[in-house]
Amino acid sequence: MKTILILLTAILITALSGCEQRSVNTNSGSNSASAATKKIGVTLLTREHQFYKDLEAGLKEEATKRGYELIVQSGDMDLAKQQSQIENFIVQKVAAIVVCPADTKGIAPAIEKANAANIPVFTADISASGGKVVSHIASDNVQGGKIAAEYIAGLLKDGGEVGIIGQPEVQSTIDREKGFKEEMAKHASIKVVATLNGGGVRDRATKAADDMLQGNPNLKAIFAINDDSALGALASAETRGVKDLIIVGYDATPEAVTKIQSGSMLKADVAQDPKLIGSKTIETIAKHLGGESVQAVVAIPVKVVDK
Amino acid sequence: MVNNISKYIILIAIVIEAVVFAVLAPQFLTVDNLINVALSIAITGILAVGMTFVILTGGIDLSIGSVLAVAGIVAAICAKSFGGIGVLLGIAAAIAVGMTTGLINGLMVSRFNVPPFVVTLAILTIARGLSFIIAERYAGSTSVSDLPPAFAFLGREKVFGLPVPVILMLAVFVVGWFLLQHTRFGRYVYAIGGNSEASFLAGVNVKSVTTWVYVLNGFLVGLAGVTLASRLGAGLANAGMQYELDVIAAVVVGGTSLSGGRGSIVLTFFGAVFIGILNNGLNLAGIDPYLQKIALGGVILIAVLADQLTKR
Repeated sequence: MKTILILLTAILITALSGCEQRSVNTNSGSNSASAATKKIGVTLLTREHQFYKDLEAGLKEEATKRGYELIVQSGDMDLAKQQSQIENFIVQKVAAIVVCPADTKGIAPAIEKANAANIPVFTADISASGGKVVSHIASDNVQGGKIAAEYIAGLLKDGGEVGIIGQPEVQSTIDREKGFKEEMAKHASIKVVATLNGGGVRDRATKAADDMLQGNPNLKAIFAINDDSALGALASAETRGVKDLIIVGYDATPEAVTKIQSGSMLKADVAQDPKLIGSKTIETIAKHLGGESVQAVVAIPVKVVDK
Repeated sequence: MVNNISKYIILIAIVIEAVVFAVLAPQFLTVDNLINVALSIAITGILAVGMTFVILTGGIDLSIGSVLAVAGIVAAICAKSFGGIGVLLGIAAAIAVGMTTGLINGLMVSRFNVPPFVVTLAILTIARGLSFIIAERYAGSTSVSDLPPAFAFLGREKVFGLPVPVILMLAVFVVGWFLLQHTRFGRYVYAIGGNSEASFLAGVNVKSVTTWVYVLNGFLVGLAGVTLASRLGAGLANAGMQYELDVIAAVVVGGTSLSGGRGSIVLTFFGAVFIGILNNGLNLAGIDPYLQKIALGGVILIAVLADQLTKR
């Protein structure tokens, strides 16, 4: 019994602490700003991905331009933390709240609280189901998966087997996988033979790719739902001495773009524009606060980048 | 006797799962795939040896995943900054990072009586923060990549047909087994976990041995960190997320008791093999990723339950 208790506690504590990593209030110190300055509260999903760093940069740039004061906090992928951050924003009487929810459904009660306080809520990158959201600003992930599939199909004229390294815990990456499969279903000669979970991080994706290449010796291409997964697949393929695999990643981080340009097996990436998501979010908020009507979904286009 | 029964259980379990996967996935029982399984548990295995020492003393180390990330980044930065000699420097630096962290953990536990959970939890958080800060300052992103080719040796080369990480893991298991079974230090480790008070009265320097156990564990964390960075071709700030769970699982599934004093390196090896085969087999058989999580959790529960039952 003691052993089980200790193990459970260990898992609990580790799980909690994993989400506890960083919460820095970047801008709360600047209370000296004039009373007329409108505050916007932002709770990001995390700060530990390049994508969110870029998104934050876009938010800040546009906010500075328009004279808003931003209060940016990291939710550290923790729903409870995000809820309390939103509650704090409500107490601070911010003019608008931006959420990148850690959980699409679970965030709803917190949004409803903001609704009740008459503070408009916007979601960026990840949507919420429940509560009243003025506008959702995000890349079209299903579309992203589709253009990745089109790109691979264009290279595999004779068809063949392809695999997916996914991350089935996150809605946006589930959508990429869905778009990819939908598009591939139109190509009779191409078959998706394996879908493995790489957890969205490079070390786990490398292991998943090892197993995928081991189990499917005829594999022609891998679609990876983010760049850490794509670079993991590349590390695996290189170590195994595979020469002619086609890897298509997602996000076009600088490291991935370098690999694409160097002529590696990572051939292309679906590029989102996180900075644009950030600046469009502020732009949409400005429009709404200025009394203009805004669209319920602001889709930020994605594109394929290759050599 | 108790040990024999546990050993028997995990070995039988390995045979059963191997048979099941051999039927489910034709590629499973090939030399290539068995090497693939060995490679997949190399990092976890190296870490599990250190963790076994820590758990045998009745402690725990939750910080290994994030310290491993710091070690990998520091190694990558050395390799990048100082060329050929930088690779060796990087290995040394990674190990130094691990041992220093281990020393802090060990001293806090042994000299200041802070519970291992709490100390290593704090270090987990600190090290993860550090890993992102260092990577950000140095490379302006979450990864330090574009490393010199020589850096690839530890993670990507093969010697006698075996990947270097696998050889490292086997060496670490053998040395760990020898230390634990055939040296005075090893006997003290068991004694402390069995009854710390009695060991102290019998003249064992409990504080010193405990500290050294955490330092030894840190050494292996550093080694694993540089090996992983070499394999991935980059030092990553988000490397090693939740490795502590994988590693504790391998140790516990093997049959080492979380309350200390009971278990062995050999059992840990079997535990790591069992989990490695499970992950690999489920992937080869194309089992749904959600179901895989359930299977893994179920296995850990069964293992701990078996541990409890054999103890009675």
